[in-house]
Amino acid sequence: MESLKEEFLEILSNYQGILHKVNLIYFRNKSEREDNFQEIIYQLWKSFPKLQNKNSIGSWIYAVSINTSISRLKKESRIVYREKLPELIDKFDLIEELTFSDASRRLLKAIYNLNEIDKSIMLLYLEEKSYDEIAEILGISKSNVGVRINRAKEALKQNLSHEK
Amino acid sequence: MKNNELQNTWKNIDAEINRKTTDELNQYLAAKCRKTMNKFLFLLSFDIVAAVGLIVFLIFTTINREGDLIYQANNLILGVITLSALIVSFLSLKKLQVNKYNLPLKEWLEQRIKLLSAWLLGKYSKLYIVLIPVLVAMIMLSIHVYYEYKPFLEVMKDGESIYGLVAGFTIGLFVSYFAVSKIRKYQLKNLEFLNDLHEQLCNIN
Repeated sequence: MESLKEEFLEILSNYQGILHKVNLIYFRNKSEREDNFQEIIYQLWKSFPKLQNKNSIGSWIYAVSINTSISRLKKESRIVYREKLPELIDKFDLIEELTFSDASRRLLKAIYNLNEIDKSIMLLYLEEKSYDEIAEILGISKSNVGVRINRAKEALKQNLSHEK
Repeated sequence: MKNNELQNTWKNIDAEINRKTTDELNQYLAAKCRKTMNKFLFLLSFDIVAAVGLIVFLIFTTINREGDLIYQANNLILGVITLSALIVSFLSLKKLQVNKYNLPLKEWLEQRIKLLSAWLLGKYSKLYIVLIPVLVAMIMLSIHVYYEYKPFLEVMKDGESIYGLVAGFTIGLFVSYFAVSKIRKYQLKNLEFLNDLHEQLCNIN
């Protein structure tokens, strides 16, 4: 058990960037991100013993992180809110304790304004994942991935132009 | 921003992230495991205490009312329902805990939608409408008849008792329906949210 935990913590330590980035695109404040970060770690730990293919650790971490984050979102406080009141996004306290550059902040705000699915598509695209990997993580076809990436990029560019 | 600019900015974000040490990650894991276990035990113990408490009351009152067959039958049926509810709630809680987050997003959404739909819209989803009044009435009868210190049929003939029972039943029914409808409303919103996401993911038109 201890060696399994050590192995898990080593993997987690190496791949924790994924958790932080998923958190940044889905949650607007620090306490939500902290809670979700803990939840993702717990869900990863729960499914770790069943992880068969150690070559696809990245895909496993993306899938668990995205699914866990989405399951924490509540419709009434997120989707409708954001679509109807875009000005509130300016209050996005994204990085109250972190020191991101202006370009990074702009990009994160623009991604945050995308719908929940486009966020995950954009995340995987920006992480330079192949269409095959994106299709595997999201469970959709490769052709669907291509279409969705183009749409998400368009939406992101529009959001970025609003951010200027 | 062009595509490569986007990707470069994203790489900068990656570099700017404040990473946790292995010790901190270990503490996060330990804290979350403890919290989850406590929550599970709290829900389970609340369930067990309420159900066991009711069963003990039913056994105690049934023994004290030897000869009052209608009262005993009421308590027996109530006891069986309570025991079944305890078992079902334990199994449901276990089922809800097994959330397979390691599946591809589409598969995971479909699994959650199926689970919630069965619970909220399935064949037995409206059973609570019938079950709640029956249970409230039986619990009211069991408590009221016992503390009237009279046989079941005598209590039923007493006008004052009937008023008391009707008032208690109405309040109990209102509180139960209110609680159940709150939970259902919350879960229906979750289901709608999951369906929206599934639609967003699968609809490419």
